[in-house]
Amino acid sequence: MSIRTAVVLSSLLLLSGCTGVAPSTPVPAAEPAPAIDREPTVTPAPRPTAAGEVPIFSTRLPSPDAPVPPVRVRVPSVDVEVDVIPVGVRKDTLMELPEDVSVAGWYRYGSDPTTGAGTTVIAAHVDSLEYGLGPFARLKGAAAGAEIVVTTVDGAEHRYAIEGVSSVRKEDLPVNQIFDRAGPERLVLITCGGQFDREALRYSDNVLVTAVPVE
Amino acid sequence: MRSTLLAGTTAGILAAAALAIPANALSDTAADLSVLHGVPDTPVDVWVNGELTLDDFQPGDLAGPLELPAGTYSVAITAPDAADDSQPVIGPVDLPLEAGTSYTAVAHLGADGAPTATLFTNDIATTAAGEGRLTVRHTAAAPAVDILAGGQAVVSGLENPKEAVLNLPAGVVSAAVAVAGTTDPVIGPADVEVAEGVNTIVYAWGSAEDGNLQLAVQTIGGLHSAPGGVNSGQAGLAADPDPSIAGWTTAAALVLLLGAASGAVLIRRRAVASNGR
Repeated sequence: MSIRTAVVLSSLLLLSGCTGVAPSTPVPAAEPAPAIDREPTVTPAPRPTAAGEVPIFSTRLPSPDAPVPPVRVRVPSVDVEVDVIPVGVRKDTLMELPEDVSVAGWYRYGSDPTTGAGTTVIAAHVDSLEYGLGPFARLKGAAAGAEIVVTTVDGAEHRYAIEGVSSVRKEDLPVNQIFDRAGPERLVLITCGGQFDREALRYSDNVLVTAVPVE
Repeated sequence: MRSTLLAGTTAGILAAAALAIPANALSDTAADLSVLHGVPDTPVDVWVNGELTLDDFQPGDLAGPLELPAGTYSVAITAPDAADDSQPVIGPVDLPLEAGTSYTAVAHLGADGAPTATLFTNDIATTAAGEGRLTVRHTAAAPAVDILAGGQAVVSGLENPKEAVLNLPAGVVSAAVAVAGTTDPVIGPADVEVAEGVNTIVYAWGSAEDGNLQLAVQTIGGLHSAPGGVNSGQAGLAADPDPSIAGWTTAAALVLLLGAASGAVLIRRRAVASNGR
């Protein structure tokens, strides 16, 4: 699979202080057509045409596909309904998360529900010393087939059906699959679970809810 | 991998771990070649190994990427509508292309204003989660320049036809180009988006003397990597019961059921031992 390349040319025109007569830009004259003398029967060879189709990208301003961030996620069957805000990455490379357990974070560098490919990742703390137990603690009780509704900032509702719920050791978390941006459309909700290490204040597992779009 | 299925299936996300292919993977046998036309005012034809490949290619346009089997290619650039590549304006130049590598060949002006061509190798290494890459290339008829971001020189003394590569947190950079050692922009400032997981390649092209210095931007995406993990709890309120304690509970229940004192002692000792305390 080849790299996706796009090009853009910003239309900045310059304000160089330089003026003066431009030296001739190197525009060589086109080769004169061969003269046809006394041989009217000779047809000029057709000029070759470009081999194959080569995509050409022209002067467009960079128009990054503006994401459509999720703002709310609901899992009615387990009484989960939380606000969602865009989050990035922490210095230690872990996904950033809202401190408040009743607010989830959407991984803003990945897919959103309108991207058409890849996984929309939404995660929240299962609990915190400050806020106590959060709604995402109930995710592990969700059943396959149950509905998840993600509302995006444009007000649209995107419906998903739960495919599975699982608990995975954190060190085994398949981050490349979960944070995939090119594969089939999916929604993954993540929180913590498993055993709790009271010294490290750390759970052993991530609880993952994977879901697929419902037509 | 130890994973516990709590409901349904997770085949889609957990089963295919071995099949992860980096989004930026190039073929083992082919190279990607893009071509940028950075000579002002002059449409050209581009010939590869004697074949007309780009017809009437306009200044500021970028073509490709072409996926080409690894090897050395002879590239000649002629005036538009030339009958063949026997009278090139630039070249012919030999471009050695290695498999699994991304290149951009740029037809541009040298520092002295004469047309030339430069083959750049694009950095398609994976970027850290949350970061993007900014590559700056000097392909203009202009002296050495400094690249300014937010008014500060982030690249100093960049000469034609050199490049500088920076890995930066994703975001918008207000970039400008100034003659080396000065801060008065000759190009920009312009807002350049350094998108996450993307190599944003900015070319300064044109001629300072002719007053047509410009920027061209090429982007190569799919270089992103995933966050290292998700640490989403800190209080232990949602923890599963400790399995050793669960074992003790089960053992205790068993004792009650059996009602056998000797067995109880034995099982109890085992449970305590497995509890590690």
